[in-house]
Amino acid sequence: MKRDPEKFWNPYLAGVALGLVLLASFVVMGKGLGASGASFRIGVAALSVLAPVHVATAPGLKSVAASPLDDWLVFEVLGVLLGGLVGGYTSGRLGVEVLRGPRASVALRIGMALGGGLLMGFAAKLARGCTSGQALSGGAMLSAGSWAFMMMVFAGGYAIAWTFRRAWR
Amino acid sequence: MTFPFEWLVQGGREVGLVVAVAVGFGFGFVLERAGFGRAQKLVAQFYGDDMTVFKVMFGAIVTAMGGAVLLSGLGLMDLRAVADVATSPTWIWPMLVGGFVLGLGFIVSGYCPGTSIVAAGSGKVDGLATVAGVVAGTLLYGELMAWPAFAAFTESGDLGHLYLQDLLHLPAPVVALAVAAMAIGCFVGAERIERLLTRGPGTPVAPRRAVLAGFAGLALAGLATLALPRATEAVAVPSRISPEALARRVVDSPWKLRVLDLRSQEACAAARVPGAECTPASSLRDLDLGYAAPGRDLVLVADGELAEPPADVRAYRGRTLVLEGGWAAWKAWALEAPEALPAGATADAREAWLFRSGVHAALTGAKAAAPPAPAPGGAAPAKRKATGGGCSG
Repeated sequence: MKRDPEKFWNPYLAGVALGLVLLASFVVMGKGLGASGASFRIGVAALSVLAPVHVATAPGLKSVAASPLDDWLVFEVLGVLLGGLVGGYTSGRLGVEVLRGPRASVALRIGMALGGGLLMGFAAKLARGCTSGQALSGGAMLSAGSWAFMMMVFAGGYAIAWTFRRAWR
Repeated sequence: MTFPFEWLVQGGREVGLVVAVAVGFGFGFVLERAGFGRAQKLVAQFYGDDMTVFKVMFGAIVTAMGGAVLLSGLGLMDLRAVADVATSPTWIWPMLVGGFVLGLGFIVSGYCPGTSIVAAGSGKVDGLATVAGVVAGTLLYGELMAWPAFAAFTESGDLGHLYLQDLLHLPAPVVALAVAAMAIGCFVGAERIERLLTRGPGTPVAPRRAVLAGFAGLALAGLATLALPRATEAVAVPSRISPEALARRVVDSPWKLRVLDLRSQEACAAARVPGAECTPASSLRDLDLGYAAPGRDLVLVADGELAEPPADVRAYRGRTLVLEGGWAAWKAWALEAPEALPAGATADAREAWLFRSGVHAALTGAKAAAPPAPAPGGAAPAKRKATGGGCSG
Protein backbone atom coordinates (compact mmCIF):
# COMPACT_ATOMS: atom_id res chain seq x y z
CA MET A 1 0.00 0.00 0.00
CA LYS A 2 1.25 3.47 -0.84
CA ARG A 3 2.10 5.65 2.13
CA ASP A 4 0.86 9.18 1.88
CA PRO A 5 1.57 11.35 4.94
CA GLU A 6 -1.05 13.88 3.83
CA LYS A 7 -3.81 11.29 3.58
CA PHE A 8 -6.09 10.85 6.56
CA TRP A 9 -9.07 8.60 7.12
CA ASN A 10 -12.45 9.97 6.20
CA PRO A 11 -13.50 11.74 9.42
CA TYR A 12 -16.89 10.02 9.58
CA LEU A 13 -15.38 6.56 9.21
CA ALA A 14 -12.66 7.49 11.73
CA GLY A 15 -15.41 8.59 14.10
CA VAL A 16 -17.18 5.25 13.75
CA ALA A 17 -13.88 3.38 14.28
CA LEU A 18 -13.10 5.43 17.38
CA GLY A 19 -16.64 4.86 18.64
CA LEU A 20 -16.25 1.10 18.21
CA VAL A 21 -12.99 1.13 20.21
CA LEU A 22 -14.77 3.07 22.95
CA LEU A 23 -17.77 0.73 22.86
CA ALA A 24 -15.45 -2.29 23.09
CA SER A 25 -13.87 -0.73 26.16
CA PHE A 26 -17.29 -0.27 27.78
CA VAL A 27 -18.54 -3.71 26.83
CA VAL A 28 -15.44 -5.77 27.64
CA MET A 29 -14.00 -3.93 30.63
CA GLY A 30 -16.83 -1.69 31.79
CA LYS A 31 -14.44 1.25 31.61
CA GLY A 32 -14.03 4.30 29.40
CA LEU A 33 -10.95 5.56 27.59
CA GLY A 34 -8.65 8.03 29.29
CA ALA A 35 -5.31 9.77 29.18
CA SER A 36 -4.79 12.39 31.87
CA GLY A 37 -5.40 9.97 34.76
CA ALA A 38 -2.39 7.95 33.63
CA SER A 39 -0.28 11.11 33.26
CA PHE A 40 -0.95 11.88 36.91
CA ARG A 41 0.04 8.40 38.00
CA ILE A 42 3.24 8.50 35.93
CA GLY A 43 4.04 11.91 37.42
CA VAL A 44 3.49 10.63 40.95
CA ALA A 45 5.71 7.63 40.21
CA ALA A 46 8.49 9.93 38.99
CA LEU A 47 8.08 12.31 41.92
CA SER A 48 8.14 9.50 44.47
CA VAL A 49 11.65 8.64 43.29
CA LEU A 50 12.77 12.22 43.97
CA ALA A 51 10.74 12.95 47.11
CA PRO A 52 9.15 9.80 48.55
CA VAL A 53 8.24 11.33 51.92
CA HIS A 54 6.53 14.30 50.31
CA VAL A 55 4.45 12.09 47.99
CA ALA A 56 3.38 9.85 50.85
CA THR A 57 2.07 12.80 52.89
CA ALA A 58 0.77 15.39 50.37
CA PRO A 59 -3.06 15.34 50.51
CA GLY A 60 -3.44 15.48 46.73
CA LEU A 61 -0.88 12.78 45.95
CA LYS A 62 -0.98 10.15 48.67
CA SER A 63 -4.15 8.48 47.35
CA VAL A 64 -2.16 6.83 44.53
CA ALA A 65 1.27 6.92 46.22
CA ALA A 66 1.29 3.24 47.25
CA SER A 67 1.48 1.80 43.72
CA PRO A 68 1.01 4.62 41.22
CA LEU A 69 1.60 2.57 38.06
CA ASP A 70 -0.64 -0.36 38.94
CA ASP A 71 -3.72 0.88 37.14
CA TRP A 72 -5.79 0.07 34.06
CA LEU A 73 -5.25 3.55 32.59
CA VAL A 74 -1.46 3.33 32.72
CA PHE A 75 -1.57 0.19 30.55
CA GLU A 76 -4.17 1.72 28.26
CA VAL A 77 -1.95 4.75 27.70
CA LEU A 78 0.99 2.48 26.93
CA GLY A 79 -1.25 1.06 24.19
CA VAL A 80 -2.05 4.57 22.95
CA LEU A 81 1.67 5.27 22.61
CA LEU A 82 2.17 2.05 20.63
CA GLY A 83 -0.89 2.79 18.51
CA GLY A 84 0.52 6.21 17.67
CA LEU A 85 3.86 4.63 16.75
CA VAL A 86 2.37 1.95 14.48
CA GLY A 87 -0.20 4.34 13.02
CA GLY A 88 2.55 6.82 12.24
CA TYR A 89 4.83 4.16 10.76
CA THR A 90 2.18 2.65 8.49
CA SER A 91 0.98 6.04 7.26
CA GLY A 92 4.45 7.47 6.65
CA ARG A 93 4.01 10.10 9.34
CA LEU A 94 6.56 8.60 11.73
CA GLY A 95 9.60 10.79 12.21
CA VAL A 96 11.31 12.99 14.78
CA GLU A 97 10.18 16.54 14.06
CA VAL A 98 8.62 19.60 15.65
CA LEU A 99 5.18 20.39 14.24
CA ARG A 100 4.56 24.14 14.27
CA GLY A 101 2.81 26.96 12.51
CA PRO A 102 4.63 28.61 9.54
CA ARG A 103 5.63 31.64 11.62
CA ALA A 104 6.49 29.97 14.93
CA SER A 105 10.07 29.19 15.98
CA VAL A 106 11.01 25.81 17.45
CA ALA A 107 11.71 27.36 20.87
CA LEU A 108 8.35 29.12 20.89
CA ARG A 109 6.59 25.93 19.84
CA ILE A 110 8.18 23.79 22.56
CA GLY A 111 7.47 26.49 25.14
CA MET A 112 3.84 26.60 24.04
CA ALA A 113 3.58 22.81 24.19
CA LEU A 114 4.93 22.76 27.75
CA GLY A 115 2.75 25.67 28.89
CA GLY A 116 -0.40 24.38 27.19
CA GLY A 117 0.25 20.91 28.56
CA LEU A 118 0.58 22.34 32.06
CA LEU A 119 -2.78 24.11 31.70
CA MET A 120 -4.42 20.92 30.38
CA GLY A 121 -2.99 18.65 33.04
CA PHE A 122 -4.27 20.96 35.74
CA ALA A 123 -7.65 21.39 34.03
CA ALA A 124 -8.10 17.67 33.43
CA LYS A 125 -7.55 16.89 37.09
CA LEU A 126 -9.99 19.63 38.06
CA ALA A 127 -12.63 18.28 35.67
CA ARG A 128 -11.97 14.61 36.55
CA GLY A 129 -10.94 13.81 33.01
CA CYS A 130 -9.80 15.27 29.72
CA THR A 131 -11.23 15.16 26.24
CA SER A 132 -10.81 11.35 26.26
CA GLY A 133 -12.10 10.40 29.68
CA GLN A 134 -14.64 13.13 30.19
CA ALA A 135 -15.86 14.42 26.82
CA LEU A 136 -15.62 11.20 24.80
CA SER A 137 -16.35 8.45 27.34
CA GLY A 138 -18.66 10.49 29.56
CA GLY A 139 -20.38 12.06 26.57
CA ALA A 140 -21.18 8.65 25.10
CA MET A 141 -22.59 7.57 28.46
CA LEU A 142 -24.77 10.71 28.42
CA SER A 143 -23.22 12.12 31.62
CA ALA A 144 -24.53 15.64 32.13
CA GLY A 145 -21.24 16.96 33.53
CA SER A 146 -19.32 15.56 30.55
CA TRP A 147 -21.51 17.44 28.09
CA ALA A 148 -21.13 20.66 30.08
CA PHE A 149 -17.35 20.06 30.10
CA MET A 150 -17.28 19.45 26.34
CA MET A 151 -19.12 22.72 25.59
CA MET A 152 -16.62 24.57 27.77
CA VAL A 153 -13.63 23.01 25.98
CA PHE A 154 -14.89 24.31 22.66
CA ALA A 155 -15.76 27.67 24.29
CA GLY A 156 -12.23 27.95 25.72
CA GLY A 157 -10.66 26.99 22.41
CA TYR A 158 -12.63 29.49 20.34
CA ALA A 159 -12.11 32.19 23.02
CA ILE A 160 -8.31 32.09 22.74
CA ALA A 161 -7.87 31.00 19.10
CA TRP A 162 -7.75 34.54 17.73
CA THR A 163 -5.10 35.65 20.26
CA PHE A 164 -2.87 32.76 19.24
CA ARG A 165 -3.47 32.94 15.48
CA ARG A 166 0.13 33.99 14.76
CA ALA A 167 1.42 30.80 16.31
CA TRP A 168 -0.60 28.58 13.98
CA ARG A 169 -1.43 30.48 10.78
CA MET B 1 -26.01 -9.05 32.52
CA THR B 2 -23.58 -10.44 29.96
CA PHE B 3 -21.35 -7.39 29.72
CA PRO B 4 -18.97 -6.19 30.92
CA PHE B 5 -16.85 -9.23 31.86
CA GLU B 6 -16.53 -8.89 35.64
CA TRP B 7 -13.72 -11.41 35.90
CA LEU B 8 -11.40 -9.19 33.85
CA VAL B 9 -11.52 -6.60 36.63
CA GLN B 10 -11.57 -9.08 39.53
CA GLY B 11 -9.86 -12.46 39.08
CA GLY B 12 -8.37 -12.24 35.61
CA ARG B 13 -6.70 -8.93 36.27
CA GLU B 14 -3.58 -9.68 34.21
CA VAL B 15 -5.72 -10.46 31.17
CA GLY B 16 -7.59 -7.24 31.86
CA LEU B 17 -4.34 -5.28 31.68
CA VAL B 18 -3.50 -6.93 28.34
CA VAL B 19 -6.95 -5.90 27.12
CA ALA B 20 -6.12 -2.39 28.35
CA VAL B 21 -3.05 -2.26 26.14
CA ALA B 22 -5.07 -3.61 23.18
CA VAL B 23 -7.87 -1.08 23.66
CA GLY B 24 -5.31 1.70 24.02
CA PHE B 25 -3.58 0.54 20.85
CA GLY B 26 -6.85 0.78 18.92
CA PHE B 27 -7.47 4.20 20.40
CA GLY B 28 -4.00 5.49 19.50
CA PHE B 29 -4.02 3.94 16.01
CA VAL B 30 -7.40 5.40 15.05
CA LEU B 31 -6.47 8.84 16.42
CA GLU B 32 -3.25 8.81 14.40
CA ARG B 33 -5.04 7.79 11.20
CA ALA B 34 -7.71 10.46 11.73
CA GLY B 35 -4.87 13.01 11.75
CA PHE B 36 -4.99 13.67 15.48
CA GLY B 37 -1.26 13.13 15.88
CA ARG B 38 -0.65 16.45 14.14
CA ALA B 39 -1.11 19.72 15.99
CA GLN B 40 -2.05 21.75 12.89
CA LYS B 41 -4.86 19.34 12.02
CA LEU B 42 -6.25 19.57 15.55
CA VAL B 43 -6.14 23.34 15.98
CA ALA B 44 -7.58 23.82 12.48
CA GLN B 45 -10.94 23.10 14.13
CA PHE B 46 -10.66 26.45 15.89
CA TYR B 47 -9.65 28.40 12.80
CA GLY B 48 -12.79 27.49 10.91
CA ASP B 49 -11.86 25.64 7.76
CA ASP B 50 -11.43 22.05 8.97
CA MET B 51 -14.09 20.44 11.17
CA THR B 52 -12.32 17.06 11.46
CA VAL B 53 -12.01 17.19 15.26
CA PHE B 54 -15.68 17.90 15.68
CA LYS B 55 -16.75 15.22 13.19
CA VAL B 56 -14.54 12.46 14.62
CA MET B 57 -15.40 13.21 18.25
CA PHE B 58 -19.12 13.58 17.77
CA GLY B 59 -19.20 10.56 15.44
CA ALA B 60 -17.42 8.44 18.05
CA ILE B 61 -19.80 9.59 20.78
CA VAL B 62 -22.87 8.75 18.69
CA THR B 63 -21.46 5.33 17.75
CA ALA B 64 -20.52 4.28 21.29
CA MET B 65 -23.67 5.79 22.79
CA GLY B 66 -25.92 4.11 20.23
CA GLY B 67 -24.22 0.75 20.72
CA ALA B 68 -24.37 0.94 24.51
CA VAL B 69 -28.03 2.00 24.50
CA LEU B 70 -28.93 -0.79 22.06
CA LEU B 71 -27.08 -3.47 24.09
CA SER B 72 -28.75 -2.23 27.27
CA GLY B 73 -32.14 -2.21 25.60
CA LEU B 74 -31.61 -5.84 24.61
CA GLY B 75 -30.78 -6.69 28.22
CA LEU B 76 -27.11 -7.56 27.55
CA MET B 77 -25.71 -4.67 29.58
CA ASP B 78 -26.92 -2.25 32.26
CA LEU B 79 -26.28 1.24 30.89
CA ARG B 80 -26.48 2.99 34.26
CA ALA B 81 -24.35 0.43 36.07
CA VAL B 82 -21.60 0.67 33.43
CA ALA B 83 -21.89 4.47 33.30
CA ASP B 84 -21.60 4.75 37.09
CA VAL B 85 -18.26 2.94 36.91
CA ALA B 86 -16.91 4.26 33.60
CA THR B 87 -17.69 7.95 34.15
CA SER B 88 -17.06 10.31 37.03
CA PRO B 89 -19.84 11.88 39.09
CA THR B 90 -20.65 15.47 38.20
CA TRP B 91 -19.04 18.31 40.16
CA ILE B 92 -20.42 21.03 37.98
CA TRP B 93 -18.26 24.07 38.92
CA PRO B 94 -14.82 22.45 38.67
CA MET B 95 -15.95 20.73 35.46
CA LEU B 96 -17.03 23.99 33.81
CA VAL B 97 -13.82 25.77 34.84
CA GLY B 98 -11.71 22.74 33.95
CA GLY B 99 -13.32 22.51 30.52
CA PHE B 100 -12.61 26.15 29.74
CA VAL B 101 -8.99 25.99 30.90
CA LEU B 102 -8.47 22.76 28.95
CA GLY B 103 -9.79 24.53 25.85
CA LEU B 104 -7.20 27.28 26.36
CA GLY B 105 -4.46 24.69 26.82
CA PHE B 106 -5.59 22.90 23.66
CA ILE B 107 -4.92 25.98 21.52
CA VAL B 108 -1.64 26.83 23.25
CA SER B 109 -0.20 23.31 23.04
CA GLY B 110 -1.94 22.14 19.86
CA TYR B 111 -3.01 18.86 21.44
CA CYS B 112 -5.29 17.44 24.07
CA PRO B 113 -3.78 15.08 26.69
CA GLY B 114 -4.68 11.93 24.70
CA THR B 115 -3.58 13.13 21.28
CA SER B 116 -0.29 14.43 22.70
CA ILE B 117 0.55 10.83 23.59
CA VAL B 118 -0.25 9.75 20.00
CA ALA B 119 1.95 12.54 18.66
CA ALA B 120 4.78 11.56 21.02
CA GLY B 121 4.42 7.95 19.85
CA SER B 122 4.88 8.98 16.22
CA GLY B 123 8.00 11.00 17.00
CA LYS B 124 6.68 14.53 17.35
CA VAL B 125 8.87 16.44 19.82
CA ASP B 126 6.15 19.03 20.45
CA GLY B 127 3.84 16.16 21.39
CA LEU B 128 6.39 14.85 23.87
CA ALA B 129 6.77 18.33 25.37
CA THR B 130 2.98 18.50 25.76
CA VAL B 131 2.97 15.13 27.54
CA ALA B 132 5.61 16.48 29.94
CA GLY B 133 3.51 19.60 30.49
CA VAL B 134 0.40 17.54 31.21
CA VAL B 135 2.27 15.43 33.78
CA ALA B 136 3.54 18.61 35.44
CA GLY B 137 0.02 20.10 35.40
CA THR B 138 -1.53 17.10 37.12
CA LEU B 139 1.19 17.23 39.78
CA LEU B 140 0.59 20.96 40.23
CA TYR B 141 -3.06 20.13 40.92
CA GLY B 142 -2.01 17.46 43.40
CA GLU B 143 0.18 19.97 45.24
CA LEU B 144 -2.58 22.60 45.28
CA MET B 145 -4.89 20.13 47.03
CA ALA B 146 -2.96 20.97 50.22
CA TRP B 147 -4.64 24.40 50.12
CA PRO B 148 -8.08 23.98 51.76
CA ALA B 149 -9.91 26.66 49.73
CA PHE B 150 -8.81 25.01 46.49
CA ALA B 151 -9.68 21.52 47.74
CA ALA B 152 -13.15 22.80 48.67
CA PHE B 153 -13.66 24.23 45.18
CA THR B 154 -12.77 20.92 43.54
CA GLU B 155 -15.67 19.32 45.44
CA SER B 156 -18.21 22.08 44.75
CA GLY B 157 -21.44 21.63 42.83
CA ASP B 158 -21.70 17.93 43.67
CA LEU B 159 -24.60 16.51 41.65
CA GLY B 160 -23.64 12.85 41.95
CA HIS B 161 -23.98 10.62 38.90
CA LEU B 162 -26.24 12.78 36.78
CA TYR B 163 -27.20 11.84 33.23
CA LEU B 164 -29.00 13.71 30.49
CA GLN B 165 -31.92 11.27 30.72
CA ASP B 166 -32.30 12.23 34.41
CA LEU B 167 -32.25 15.94 33.63
CA LEU B 168 -34.79 15.57 30.83
CA HIS B 169 -36.92 12.92 32.56
CA LEU B 170 -36.87 10.82 29.40
CA PRO B 171 -35.80 7.20 28.74
CA ALA B 172 -32.16 6.87 27.64
CA PRO B 173 -32.99 5.67 24.07
CA VAL B 174 -35.08 8.80 23.47
CA VAL B 175 -32.19 11.00 24.60
CA ALA B 176 -29.81 8.97 22.43
CA LEU B 177 -32.07 9.48 19.42
CA ALA B 178 -32.14 13.22 20.10
CA VAL B 179 -28.32 13.33 20.36
CA ALA B 180 -27.98 11.36 17.11
CA ALA B 181 -30.43 13.69 15.35
CA MET B 182 -28.53 16.72 16.65
CA ALA B 183 -25.24 15.18 15.48
CA ILE B 184 -26.54 14.52 11.97
CA GLY B 185 -27.82 18.09 11.79
CA CYS B 186 -24.46 19.43 12.99
CA PHE B 187 -22.54 17.28 10.47
CA VAL B 188 -24.61 18.60 7.58
CA GLY B 189 -24.02 22.13 8.91
CA ALA B 190 -20.28 21.52 9.31
CA GLU B 191 -20.02 20.42 5.67
CA ARG B 192 -21.76 23.64 4.58
CA ILE B 193 -19.38 25.79 6.64
CA GLU B 194 -16.33 23.99 5.26
CA ARG B 195 -17.53 24.39 1.68
CA LEU B 196 -18.21 28.10 2.22
CA LEU B 197 -14.79 28.78 3.77
CA THR B 198 -12.55 26.61 1.62
CA ARG B 199 -14.60 26.43 -1.61
CA GLY B 200 -13.16 22.94 -1.87
CA PRO B 201 -14.99 19.70 -2.51
CA GLY B 202 -15.29 18.75 1.20
CA THR B 203 -15.24 15.12 2.29
CA PRO B 204 -16.43 12.40 -0.12
CA VAL B 205 -20.21 12.14 -0.13
CA ALA B 206 -20.72 8.36 -0.27
CA PRO B 207 -19.18 7.30 3.11
CA ARG B 208 -20.71 10.30 4.79
CA ARG B 209 -24.22 9.39 3.65
CA ALA B 210 -23.75 5.77 4.72
CA VAL B 211 -22.41 6.75 8.16
CA LEU B 212 -25.16 9.27 8.83
CA ALA B 213 -27.80 6.75 7.77
CA GLY B 214 -26.11 4.21 10.06
CA PHE B 215 -26.31 6.65 13.01
CA ALA B 216 -30.02 7.18 12.39
CA GLY B 217 -30.64 3.43 12.08
CA LEU B 218 -28.68 2.64 15.27
CA ALA B 219 -30.56 5.26 17.28
CA LEU B 220 -33.92 4.04 15.96
CA ALA B 221 -33.02 0.43 16.82
CA GLY B 222 -32.21 1.60 20.36
CA LEU B 223 -35.58 3.33 20.52
CA ALA B 224 -37.31 0.15 19.33
CA THR B 225 -35.95 -1.76 22.35
CA LEU B 226 -38.25 0.34 24.52
CA ALA B 227 -41.05 -1.88 23.16
CA LEU B 228 -39.35 -5.00 24.58
CA PRO B 229 -40.85 -6.07 27.90
CA ARG B 230 -37.52 -7.04 29.48
CA ALA B 231 -35.90 -3.68 28.99
CA THR B 232 -38.13 -1.87 31.47
CA GLU B 233 -38.22 -4.70 34.00
CA ALA B 234 -34.54 -4.48 34.83
CA VAL B 235 -34.82 -0.90 36.08
CA ALA B 236 -37.47 -1.57 38.74
CA VAL B 237 -35.43 -3.87 41.01
CA PRO B 238 -33.85 -1.71 43.74
CA SER B 239 -30.52 -2.51 45.40
CA ARG B 240 -30.62 -3.73 49.00
CA ILE B 241 -28.50 -2.77 51.95
CA SER B 242 -28.07 -4.86 55.08
CA PRO B 243 -28.58 -3.34 58.55
CA GLU B 244 -24.87 -3.69 59.24
CA ALA B 245 -23.86 -1.98 55.98
CA LEU B 246 -26.32 0.82 56.69
CA ALA B 247 -24.99 1.27 60.22
CA ARG B 248 -21.44 1.50 58.90
CA ARG B 249 -22.42 4.15 56.40
CA VAL B 250 -24.36 6.11 59.03
CA VAL B 251 -21.26 6.12 61.20
CA ASP B 252 -18.59 6.65 58.51
CA SER B 253 -20.16 9.03 56.03
CA PRO B 254 -23.67 10.18 56.98
CA TRP B 255 -23.41 13.10 54.54
CA LYS B 256 -23.61 10.68 51.62
CA LEU B 257 -26.90 9.21 52.82
CA ARG B 258 -30.49 10.26 53.16
CA VAL B 259 -32.54 7.79 55.18
CA LEU B 260 -36.30 7.95 54.71
CA ASP B 261 -38.47 6.12 57.25
CA LEU B 262 -41.69 5.17 55.49
CA ARG B 263 -43.44 3.82 58.62
CA SER B 264 -46.24 5.70 60.40
CA GLN B 265 -45.37 8.98 62.08
CA GLU B 266 -45.87 7.50 65.59
CA ALA B 267 -43.67 4.47 65.02
CA CYS B 268 -40.92 6.60 63.48
CA ALA B 269 -41.12 9.20 66.26
CA ALA B 270 -40.64 6.46 68.85
CA ALA B 271 -37.49 4.93 67.35
CA ARG B 272 -35.71 5.20 64.02
CA VAL B 273 -32.35 4.74 62.30
CA PRO B 274 -30.07 7.62 63.43
CA GLY B 275 -30.52 10.59 61.12
CA ALA B 276 -33.62 9.17 59.42
CA GLU B 277 -36.41 11.50 58.32
CA CYS B 278 -39.96 10.50 59.28
CA THR B 279 -41.69 10.42 55.91
CA PRO B 280 -44.87 8.29 55.89
CA ALA B 281 -45.96 7.30 52.39
CA SER B 282 -48.51 10.12 52.21
CA SER B 283 -45.85 12.82 52.75
CA LEU B 284 -43.40 11.56 50.09
CA ARG B 285 -44.90 13.71 47.36
CA ASP B 286 -44.01 16.89 49.28
CA LEU B 287 -40.31 15.99 49.22
CA ASP B 288 -40.19 16.49 45.41
CA LEU B 289 -37.52 13.81 45.16
CA GLY B 290 -37.43 14.10 41.35
CA TYR B 291 -35.91 17.57 41.77
CA ALA B 292 -33.71 16.85 44.79
CA ALA B 293 -29.93 16.89 44.23
CA PRO B 294 -28.95 13.26 43.60
CA GLY B 295 -25.58 13.36 45.35
CA ARG B 296 -26.71 11.28 48.33
CA ASP B 297 -27.94 7.69 48.29
CA LEU B 298 -31.53 7.32 49.39
CA VAL B 299 -32.19 4.52 51.89
CA LEU B 300 -35.80 3.40 52.39
CA VAL B 301 -36.90 1.90 55.71
CA ALA B 302 -40.31 0.21 55.78
CA ASP B 303 -41.93 -2.00 58.43
CA GLY B 304 -40.71 -5.18 56.80
CA GLU B 305 -39.16 -6.10 53.47
CA LEU B 306 -40.07 -3.50 50.84
CA ALA B 307 -40.62 -5.13 47.45
CA GLU B 308 -40.75 -2.02 45.32
CA PRO B 309 -40.06 1.66 46.09
CA PRO B 310 -43.14 3.92 45.99
CA ALA B 311 -43.69 5.88 42.77
CA ASP B 312 -42.70 9.20 44.36
CA VAL B 313 -39.31 7.75 45.30
CA ARG B 314 -38.68 6.29 41.85
CA ALA B 315 -38.48 9.84 40.48
CA TYR B 316 -35.24 10.32 42.47
CA ARG B 317 -32.26 10.67 40.12
CA GLY B 318 -29.62 9.28 42.44
CA ARG B 319 -29.23 5.77 43.81
CA THR B 320 -32.02 4.28 45.90
CA LEU B 321 -31.36 1.48 48.37
CA VAL B 322 -33.88 -0.57 50.34
CA LEU B 323 -33.09 -1.69 53.90
CA GLU B 324 -33.05 -5.49 53.89
CA GLY B 325 -35.83 -6.79 56.14
CA GLY B 326 -36.95 -3.23 56.93
CA TRP B 327 -37.30 -1.86 60.43
CA ALA B 328 -37.78 -5.35 61.92
CA ALA B 329 -34.31 -6.34 60.74
CA TRP B 330 -32.75 -3.10 61.96
CA LYS B 331 -34.37 -3.57 65.37
CA ALA B 332 -33.07 -7.11 65.65
CA TRP B 333 -29.56 -6.07 64.58
CA ALA B 334 -29.10 -2.76 66.39
CA LEU B 335 -31.50 -2.60 69.32
CA GLU B 336 -31.07 -6.09 70.70
CA ALA B 337 -27.80 -6.98 72.37
CA PRO B 338 -25.67 -9.29 70.22
CA GLU B 339 -24.99 -12.77 71.49
CA ALA B 340 -21.57 -13.41 72.90
CA LEU B 341 -18.92 -14.16 70.31
CA PRO B 342 -18.12 -17.87 69.99
CA ALA B 343 -14.60 -18.94 70.79
CA GLY B 344 -12.16 -19.04 67.92
CA ALA B 345 -13.98 -16.40 65.86
CA THR B 346 -12.06 -14.87 62.95
CA ALA B 347 -10.69 -11.34 63.13
CA ASP B 348 -13.44 -10.15 60.78
CA ALA B 349 -16.19 -11.64 62.91
CA ARG B 350 -14.64 -10.11 65.98
CA GLU B 351 -14.51 -6.67 64.36
CA ALA B 352 -18.16 -7.01 63.23
CA TRP B 353 -19.21 -8.05 66.72
CA LEU B 354 -17.42 -5.11 68.32
CA PHE B 355 -19.04 -2.72 65.86
CA ARG B 356 -22.48 -4.14 66.47
CA SER B 357 -22.22 -4.04 70.23
CA GLY B 358 -20.91 -0.49 69.98
CA VAL B 359 -23.91 0.57 67.89
CA HIS B 360 -26.21 -1.25 70.31
CA ALA B 361 -24.68 0.53 73.28
CA ALA B 362 -24.90 3.93 71.60
CA LEU B 363 -28.52 3.53 70.56
CA THR B 364 -29.97 1.92 73.66
CA GLY B 365 -27.83 3.55 76.33
CA ALA B 366 -26.94 0.09 77.58
CA LYS B 367 -23.49 -0.36 78.94
CA ALA B 368 -21.20 -1.57 76.20
CA ALA B 369 -20.51 -5.27 76.48
CA ALA B 370 -17.06 -6.29 77.52
CA PRO B 371 -14.64 -6.81 74.64
CA PRO B 372 -14.98 -10.33 73.24
CA ALA B 373 -11.47 -11.58 73.79
CA PRO B 374 -11.64 -12.31 77.52
CA ALA B 375 -15.40 -13.06 77.45
CA PRO B 376 -15.19 -16.63 76.10
CA GLY B 377 -12.74 -17.46 78.86
CA GLY B 378 -9.54 -16.66 77.05
CA ALA B 379 -9.97 -19.58 74.67
CA ALA B 380 -9.69 -17.54 71.46
CA PRO B 381 -6.27 -15.96 72.00
CA ALA B 382 -4.86 -19.21 73.35
CA LYS B 383 -6.01 -21.12 70.29
CA ARG B 384 -4.64 -18.50 67.94
CA LYS B 385 -1.25 -18.72 69.57
CA ALA B 386 -1.16 -22.47 69.25
CA THR B 387 -1.99 -22.60 65.54
CA GLY B 388 -0.42 -19.44 64.20
CA GLY B 389 3.09 -19.55 65.58
CA GLY B 390 4.81 -20.62 62.38
CA CYS B 391 6.34 -17.30 61.44
CA SER B 392 7.26 -15.80 64.76
CA GLY B 393 8.33 -18.89 66.61
